[in-house]
Amino acid sequence: MKRRDVLRGTGAALLALPFVRLLERGAHAHAPSGNAKRLIILYHPDGVPGPSSNGEPSAWHPSGGETQFTLPPVLASLQPYRDRCVFFRGLSMGPTDVGSHPGGAKKLLTGVDGGNGISIDHHLAQTVGAGDPFRSLYLGAMANQNGASGDKHISYVAAGVTATPDDDPAAAFGRVFAGGGTTSGGGTDPRVTRRLSVLDRSKAELESLRSRLGTVEKTKLDVHLEAVREVEQRIGNVGGGGGGASCQAPSIDATGLGGSALYAPERFPQILRAQIDLMVQAMACGITRVGVIQGSIHTSELIMSRFMGTPMYDPGFDMRSHQASHYGASHDASHREYQAYVQQSTWWVDQLAYLLGQLAARPEDGGTMLDHSLVLSCTEVCDGNTHGHDDMPFILAGGGSGRIRTGRLLQLGYRRHSDLLTSIANAMGSGITGFGDASSGGIPGLLA
Amino acid sequence: MAARRGHGSGTRVAPWAAVRRIVLALVIVGCGNDSASTSYDYASSRGAALYQQMCQVCHGETGEGGLGPVLRDSPRKHAELRAAIETRMPANNPGQCTGECATQIASFIEQGLTTSARRCDAIPPGPRRLRLLTRREYGATVRDLFGDAAPVMSCARPTDCTFRDTCGGTTCAPTSCDAQTFVFDPQGRALSSVHVAGSFNGWAGTVAAGGLPLVYANGQWSGTFAIGEGMHQYKLVLDEREWIVDPRAPASVPDGFGGRNAALDLACTEPTDASSHLPADNRPAGFPFDTDADSALVTTVHVDAYLAAAETLADHAATRKAELHPCDWAGQGATCTHELVEALGRRMFRRPLTDDEAAQYGALATTDVATAIQALLVSPHFLYRSELGVANGDRFRLTGFEVATALSYTFVGTTPGEALLAAAAAGELDRTDGIERWARKLLADPRARDQVGELVLQWAGGQSVLTADKRADLFPGFDDVTRRALANETRAFAAHVVFDGTGSLDELLVADYTMLDATAARFYGVTAAASGPTPYADGRRAGILGHASVLASTAHSDQTSPIRRGLLIRRNFLCEDLPPPPPFAGGVPEVDSTATTRDRFAAHTANPVCAGCHRYIDDLGFGLERFDAVGRWREQEHGAPIDPSGNLNDVERLGTGTSAPYASLPELAAKLSASAAAPSCFTRQYLRFSRGLRESLAQRCERLSIERTFEASGRDIRELMVHSVLAPSFVERR
Repeated sequence: MKRRDVLRGTGAALLALPFVRLLERGAHAHAPSGNAKRLIILYHPDGVPGPSSNGEPSAWHPSGGETQFTLPPVLASLQPYRDRCVFFRGLSMGPTDVGSHPGGAKKLLTGVDGGNGISIDHHLAQTVGAGDPFRSLYLGAMANQNGASGDKHISYVAAGVTATPDDDPAAAFGRVFAGGGTTSGGGTDPRVTRRLSVLDRSKAELESLRSRLGTVEKTKLDVHLEAVREVEQRIGNVGGGGGGASCQAPSIDATGLGGSALYAPERFPQILRAQIDLMVQAMACGITRVGVIQGSIHTSELIMSRFMGTPMYDPGFDMRSHQASHYGASHDASHREYQAYVQQSTWWVDQLAYLLGQLAARPEDGGTMLDHSLVLSCTEVCDGNTHGHDDMPFILAGGGSGRIRTGRLLQLGYRRHSDLLTSIANAMGSGITGFGDASSGGIPGLLA
Repeated sequence: MAARRGHGSGTRVAPWAAVRRIVLALVIVGCGNDSASTSYDYASSRGAALYQQMCQVCHGETGEGGLGPVLRDSPRKHAELRAAIETRMPANNPGQCTGECATQIASFIEQGLTTSARRCDAIPPGPRRLRLLTRREYGATVRDLFGDAAPVMSCARPTDCTFRDTCGGTTCAPTSCDAQTFVFDPQGRALSSVHVAGSFNGWAGTVAAGGLPLVYANGQWSGTFAIGEGMHQYKLVLDEREWIVDPRAPASVPDGFGGRNAALDLACTEPTDASSHLPADNRPAGFPFDTDADSALVTTVHVDAYLAAAETLADHAATRKAELHPCDWAGQGATCTHELVEALGRRMFRRPLTDDEAAQYGALATTDVATAIQALLVSPHFLYRSELGVANGDRFRLTGFEVATALSYTFVGTTPGEALLAAAAAGELDRTDGIERWARKLLADPRARDQVGELVLQWAGGQSVLTADKRADLFPGFDDVTRRALANETRAFAAHVVFDGTGSLDELLVADYTMLDATAARFYGVTAAASGPTPYADGRRAGILGHASVLASTAHSDQTSPIRRGLLIRRNFLCEDLPPPPPFAGGVPEVDSTATTRDRFAAHTANPVCAGCHRYIDDLGFGLERFDAVGRWREQEHGAPIDPSGNLNDVERLGTGTSAPYASLPELAAKLSASAAAPSCFTRQYLRFSRGLRESLAQRCERLSIERTFEASGRDIRELMVHSVLAPSFVERR
């Protein structure tokens, strides 16, 4: 009986594990370092109702002064977290391929105009996350739909090459929490010993092979070697401090998410929630501190009108994300696409609010997980109709252990978003002075 | 620098070219053939790579022009080119390439797009690479190496088998996916009835109420029932009174009453094999196939999956070591272990183990055979196909074993068998005639049909029929079984054309038949031929474009998409690419349930800003509007008759201003078949598929040579496949 089947069966409705197994994993308690303890990036596709073709102002961006600003209706569910958020005007991803969805997706987490670099989550995985059982975690909700790959994905493991998110909460659960059926209990588990010696052999061969290669092929094996080292470290890590106070027995609702249900649009809300829950719980238990959750893909065919219990629900008409995002030249509330687009955007913000709520509900070090976390909400274009790459609708949320001056609307004029990624890296404890291709350092005044 | 410029031949019409400048250029360059200008080194040119990324889509691969002007043999000087690039390019959104970028592209235009640079004196060697096994290749390889990974056990009683297996007398066999066997050992206790009650029969408390009754025989209660796919929960009921958890079920969940239910997840999808936990292959934009080696990187997700699969396979293989390597295991255990490692290692690394490898794996195997096998399965020498070669002068030549590996995966999609490895060992594959002989041999292998089926299905973008959302109320009956049948139609058609028919690209495009099974026939509303091809009797369809797999993959859940169909033909069939839309490009056609799709899009393409590109896409796709979102024929849309006319404009190259109207799919297919662009593109696509490489100008000369041979052979796809491995860059690398 395959391990995966066992996990599926155990809690066919709820994926659950006994608490004690978690303590046996090599999870680290995070020693207080003054830096943000974790970063979660939450992506949604096809932009927001921003400045229109006809020149109407954005219906999404907040307006007002730096601390006295108001949230528009589409951001209403963030009101309880307003003081822990930072909003931006004027963040640009650079001029290359402006007007293009894939062009934007390539730049989004790499901070490179034209998109030839690794993404911020991989930089952090290799630096501040290097000692964690999972250096980073890339989860998706229907992000591999219809074989989507390449520039539909946003996490770059090497220049021009994306990683693949795990779309299946049950599989991700098994990988992250059950550790492939092994516990690291003192390293006496013979299967662990065997896996370690097998990986050791693999590493030696990779190193020897690598020396015979040219540059491009060397990079391939470097990535492979890093992957082997990460798995080896995770499997071999004995002891460790276990998770913090919020590390509970994780439980994920994966009812009915088998087989083709994983790509049925009506299941999307459940899948995204399951992935958010999984990510939060993995982080609560110190299994990782860098995560990307990709909701769908750019130019999304996701039929959001199939989401029951939302204002968008319409069983008689298929309204796809990308379709709604091309609402036309103006913010016309009587126009069907525009209505749907606003509803969709609101729904995505609700999911961000849910994530923030999950973090806020878990105590940590005298506060909550949200106080010590960074959450970055992003999408690959600004306004879905104009496809611009300027004035990008990033939201940075969470206290970052006090590293971030929150509760602000920052008017930046024109600033490359790689500066934001740089600031985030710094808040996480990476000393990098410039991430991506912008070299002006971080965003002035963002970090405390 | 000036010496590298091509002759500024006055025959090129360029508004800015002054006679004085041409004379000056001629004086500087001289008209002699500069022997230092062997064909330009495209492979190491950064400017060439940038040009391909940013300029090619409008200016053409070799600067031959298209949507943008000709750049070949440009008389412009470097500074002029650089300034134009920095301030005016790309045309729809200037300013993206400045500084170093502009300098390198300008240099490339000056030096790499000249007539002399494009000379094909010599075919440059191919790149030295490692190619990660694709998910398909990995699955096929472990199947061929290890057979069915599920242990086949012997059984005396049903309970000897694992939970999902059934004891068929003496051996345990996997239970069919739509049936589940329940077995209960009463441990000597006398019972009058045992039945199964669960979520699939409303938790029936008695047999009369629908409980599934088990039958008592030989000390066991058992029964097999079709309870359908899905996640189920159940209990066993003893004497219609005592509800217990099935002790054989390995998984259980709380039942909400303080007890537990057994949990069962039945899925009738493809049987899970070793490859099913691997992430899907990365397909870069514009590359239709799953074989691109440069974007196939091993991440931790891969490592976890490889390790887990390797463990299962190795544990199983270790119990069958006598089968894997017949030997006197009882008497000569150590020797047999060593021989097993060498034999298995040779098959898995697709070459003999080195002495060091034999020693290392031998040592692992002495401790535990399963460990050695697991290590072999996660070794880079197993996971990557080596195309590195051995040094041979200033370049490298693939070893016979590397050639064997490449031939086997190219033609039959799996690891080389014993005969092919022996041929490699004997040096047969060091010679071109040996390579050709083996290529033709592999083509005759039945598995080559599957490989061709996969090639064509991916080329035509038809695999999305398996997963694309379709409205159940608009398209009732478009279920998984139908989708699979339609994908198989394309595979079977491709195999038939290539191996049973003329084997020509033209037949793929214009065939007046297809290959249907009963399910596919029912979908189309026709009767399938008893065997062999089913004719397109009504003249509505032709060739591969008539397949529902292709038509459904290029449509939305509830409507067709002329854009996607037009783009499919441009990109996959003609290799004509189009630049991305500019910013502020605007909307998609409004929802209008009374207008036809064509009418709704017409406004979109009447706009002159959009029409520049969209006339090449929409006008082409409109002609397919007779085929609805699942590929069925329709006469009207929303009560209005459908206008089936389209235009295969500028089929040979965008910007040439030709028009080729058509009014039916067979007409479109015939025009494609008559073009020079279609066979040229197919050659390019085949090389992408088989080489796993996004081509650059470095491969151009060789590709032209293969294209010419393809054309001369009557566009014979089998000959194309053979010739592509006889090309010099197949074995020569750098």
